[in-house]
This record gives sequence, structure tokens and C-alpha cells, in this order.
Amino acid sequence: MNIAWIDIRYHFVRFMMATVGVGLLFSATIGMIGLYRGVVFEALMIIREMGGDIWVVQGDRAGPFAEESEIPGTLARRLDGVAGIKWSKKFIQFNQQFEIGGRHVRIAVTGLDYPDDNGSWVPLVEGRYLYSGHYEAIADESLGFSLGSRIRIRRDDYTIVGLTARQVDMAGDGIMFVTVGDARTMKADSPSEAVLLRRASNLGDPPSQDATNKISAVIAKVEDGADPEQVRQHIASWGDVAVYSRVAEEEILLYSRMWRLLLQILAFVVMTLLVTVIVVGLSVYTMTLEKAKEIALLKLIGARNPFIIWMIVQQALFIGAVSFGIGLLLAHLVFPHFPRTVLIEWKDVGIQFLVALVLCAASSWFGIRKALSIRAQDVLS
Amino acid sequence: MTDEMVLSVDNVSKRYGEGSTEVYALTDATIGIRSGEMVGVVGPSGSGKTTFLLIAGLLDTPTSGSVSFRGQTISRAGTHPNALRDFRRQHVGFVFQKPNLIPFLTAAQNVQIALAVNGTVGKAAKDRSITLLQHFGVDHRANNFPNQLSGGEQQRVAIARALANTPRLLLADEPTASLDSERGRQVMGMFRELADREGVAVCVVTHDPRTHEHFDRIVEIQDGRVSPDTAGSARRPLERTGELPSK
Repeated sequence: MNIAWIDIRYHFVRFMMATVGVGLLFSATIGMIGLYRGVVFEALMIIREMGGDIWVVQGDRAGPFAEESEIPGTLARRLDGVAGIKWSKKFIQFNQQFEIGGRHVRIAVTGLDYPDDNGSWVPLVEGRYLYSGHYEAIADESLGFSLGSRIRIRRDDYTIVGLTARQVDMAGDGIMFVTVGDARTMKADSPSEAVLLRRASNLGDPPSQDATNKISAVIAKVEDGADPEQVRQHIASWGDVAVYSRVAEEEILLYSRMWRLLLQILAFVVMTLLVTVIVVGLSVYTMTLEKAKEIALLKLIGARNPFIIWMIVQQALFIGAVSFGIGLLLAHLVFPHFPRTVLIEWKDVGIQFLVALVLCAASSWFGIRKALSIRAQDVLS
Repeated sequence: MTDEMVLSVDNVSKRYGEGSTEVYALTDATIGIRSGEMVGVVGPSGSGKTTFLLIAGLLDTPTSGSVSFRGQTISRAGTHPNALRDFRRQHVGFVFQKPNLIPFLTAAQNVQIALAVNGTVGKAAKDRSITLLQHFGVDHRANNFPNQLSGGEQQRVAIARALANTPRLLLADEPTASLDSERGRQVMGMFRELADREGVAVCVVTHDPRTHEHFDRIVEIQDGRVSPDTAGSARRPLERTGELPSK
């Protein structure tokens, strides 16, 4: 006979109201952790999908995911000549807001080093990869473009030849893949007046090709059998570039750009869990108060304190377990409809479940304290 | 079964408050109850009957004097009431004016909970609870909640619970006060039967003069003192047949 469960069954409506409330709080914590996981997943996606072992970026810079990095487009050709390099790809990515079809769209423009890279690694949900060096694009569904549609960006028209799903950058902007050349054109494009003013300021100087020839980084694959660290050190010795392994570039992204986000999310999670502890604590305390007479009776008939404490702790654990189940169910029903990816990993869920149980057990302290203060003779009052 | 002294309250005093607020609820009270004896404790309101019940039932400890159970001193000044819980669980049963059944447990579960706190669970506890409910004629109500039972049925379930762990001492506080005279008589008859057949020492605190006919002895408490002419007088001989279901 489990007296804790019998009591809960008897007061089922009240129990469910408490658990739904706490469940909403748990779904919020699951969502916050999932949001962080989702942001990390989205941020690392492009690094992992593009492959490559080393990232070559502007000298004394940490790379395009941490700060501005501009290197000449010709750097890829220099890398091709390095012993141990299997292939290299130019990389450019920037976020820009364009007015397309009368609406403002934020796009994470990402360059593909066509024709070596036509985007065959990009996970398409519809359409094809790039067949042309110009004016074709693969766009994420979140940007709202349909397959085959033609969109005008600045002065050029692009045809959407492929669609992806959930291909966004760490800011949540949908990625549009174009060739590196087209990406540079989009980035360098400026109004006629600005071009005229720039030309005027450069009178006497030879015209510069730099502005349209810059890329963010070069990704290179090391040949099988070659030592990636040795290759990396060799390229770094050139002095004008900085070289990172893929893992190092991922860490730069995580720890330079996202640690504040992580801290903030963790702070919110802690706050939400504190609220949860208080809500569960109050629920258990109220349930204990309502059972004061019954607890006095249990003491009268000789129930030991551990018997009474275990009854209260069990009720807190029941609230915690059922609430967490409700929270998890809500998370699976609601979060897929959120604009950003909320990645619910079972390892996180397991840890959160254990934390939830521990916190709920701890929150029963209020009720336990009250129960222990009840005297057996209170039955007579 | 012998006429051994089950409960012995010896020179017990209970003081509440200190200094100017000091009040003696019980002064130098000595009462003994033997196996199979049914004793009534009477007296006006505020005379110290409930204090006596608390101390005799090991729910409170005396300021001076001692409480012995079958010759062994159990409680005296300074004993913590929590330390008496194990002893109470095994040897003392309580019945009150209100049945004090746990509202979210069925009649059978209300009996089983007393067994559970003493470590008897599962089928053994179920069988024992049904046997006890049968004995008191409420087994057909085993799966009903207290709010589905009449006052008399609730009180019978409460008595079954009090006897779940076969106590040697049964303490009752105004057990007939909320019952009509017929049901009150039935309850007192049950107590009488417990004393006669099972040899349980029964102590009933009461205001109700209609119950007096059931007692072997009546002890009167006035202003916290036991009246000397009532403390030891036997009123009826003891007869036992021993038919209460044993554990």
C-alpha cells in the first residue's frame, strides 16, 4: 500500500493542476537547453558539412566565425601548391538584408567554390545543385523562396534551383548558397553615387581589384597519410595568414561567439529551476498542511519519522516525474514549430530528469519540516 | 492469561508553564490498570482527564513520576515523546470521540495503515484488516471511503484500526460522545468484549454516565487529582473467553 500515491489519486485534479504548471516550467528548461543545442548545431553545421581539415584565415585573426577575416581569393591557388594538400575551397559567408519582391529578407549568403564545389554536400529537400557559375542559388525554405522562382538581388536576377531545410547560420538567418563570385558581387555591390565618390577619392591611384577579390577563408583537405599539424604549421609560417584545424575553428565559434549565449541560457535555466523548486515546494507544503491531522494520526499509531518523510518525498518525486513527462511531451509537440531549431538530446533530457528529481526531493524539505513539527496529540485538537 | 498490571501510572504530575503561568494539570496521580480490566476515567471538563490520557498513552511525558508497562518503566520526566513511538505502536491502541479515519483511504486501508507502520504489509495486512472488519461487522464496507460510512461504522473501523497490532492497552477518549445511545452502547459493548475475551486493558475517558455500567472500575479525577475512594475499587468480576482474532 503506497499511501503517497493513494493520496495523489484521491486528490487527482489538484495533483494534475500542479503537475501541468510545473510541467510547463520543465518544458521551458528543456526548450532553453534545446535552443542552445540547436544554435550550436546550426552554427557548426556549415563547418562540418563543408569538410576539410584546416581553415586558413586572415593573419592574426581568429577566423570568419569570430571576427572579420579578409584574405585574397588567390590564396586558394597558393594552398594547392603546398605538399600534403588534397584540395582547397574558397569560403565566404556574410549576413545581409536585401529587399526582394517588396519585402526585407535577411540572408546568410554563403559562397561555393564553383566549379570544384557545386554544393553536392548540401542536403537538398528539393531541386538540384548548381550547374552554372552565375545567377543560380540554393536557398533555405525559411527564406520563403519557391523552387524555380527568380529573385532580384541588387542588379542581378538569381534562379532558385535547390531548396534546403533548416540550413541557417548561428544568427538564425536562412543560408543561400551561390558561387563565390556571385557572393563577392553581392557583398561589394554599392550604389552608383558611392562608386563615383570612391573613384574620386582614388584619383591618381591605380584601380584596385581587391574589393571584389576578397574572401573570408580557405578550407583545405589534407591528403591521406600527411600530417595535418605539420601542414598547418607550414602554412602558418607564411606569416600573412592564420591557420586553424577544423576542431580549433569549431572551438573558436563556440567559445568566442557563443559562450555568452550559453551563460545567459544557463542563467535562465537556473532561474526557471529555482521557480520550479519553489512551486513544487509550495505544492508539497500545501499538501502536507492539508494532511496535518492524518500525519498526527500516523504519529499517534506509531509511524516513525522516516515513514512520514518518505511519504512526502515520494509525493514530491511523483510531482517531479509526472511534470517532467508533461514538459517533455509539450516540448516535442510545440518546439518543432519554433522558428529556430530546438534540439532535444536524450542525454540532456536524462540529466535534466535527474536534476528535476533531485530538486523536487529537495523542495519537499518545506513539507517535511512542517510534518516533523506536527505532534501526535494534535489528533485530539 | 493473568491479571498482570498492564499500565501503571505512578505519582505522576504534569506541569504546564513556568513561574506565574505555572499550572498543574495532574498532581501526584497514581492509577493502575490490569489485563482484562475496563476502567472508566471520569471528571468534569478541565479536571486533567485528557492530560492523563496523553501521559498514559505515551503521547506526552510527566513532569515527575513514571509510567510503567507490565512492570517496566517506559516514561518519566525527560523522556522524549518520539522515543515512545515504537512502544506505542506495538502495545497501545487509541480510539477517539471522532473516528479520525484517513479520508483518502478505504476502511480496509485505514486498518492496513496501522499494520504498515508496524511492518506488516501485503497479503498478510489485507487478510488481517478484513478479519478485523469482519469481527466488528463492517467487512461489507471494506472498500468504502470514510465519507461513505455512517458514524457508527466509522467508529467500528477506528476500533478495528486500534486493535490491528493486538495492543495490550486500549485508550479511548469520549468514544461515545458523537454517537446515539444505541450505537454508544454497541461500542462500549465491544470494549467490554475486548477486555473480557482478549484480556486487553481498556481505559475509557468519558463524560457519559450511560457508559458507567460497562466499567469494572471508575476513577474520578478532580482538579488534577485522583479521588482516593475510586482509584482501586473493582466493580465486576473478570470473565474471558478469548475469541478476538489474533494476529
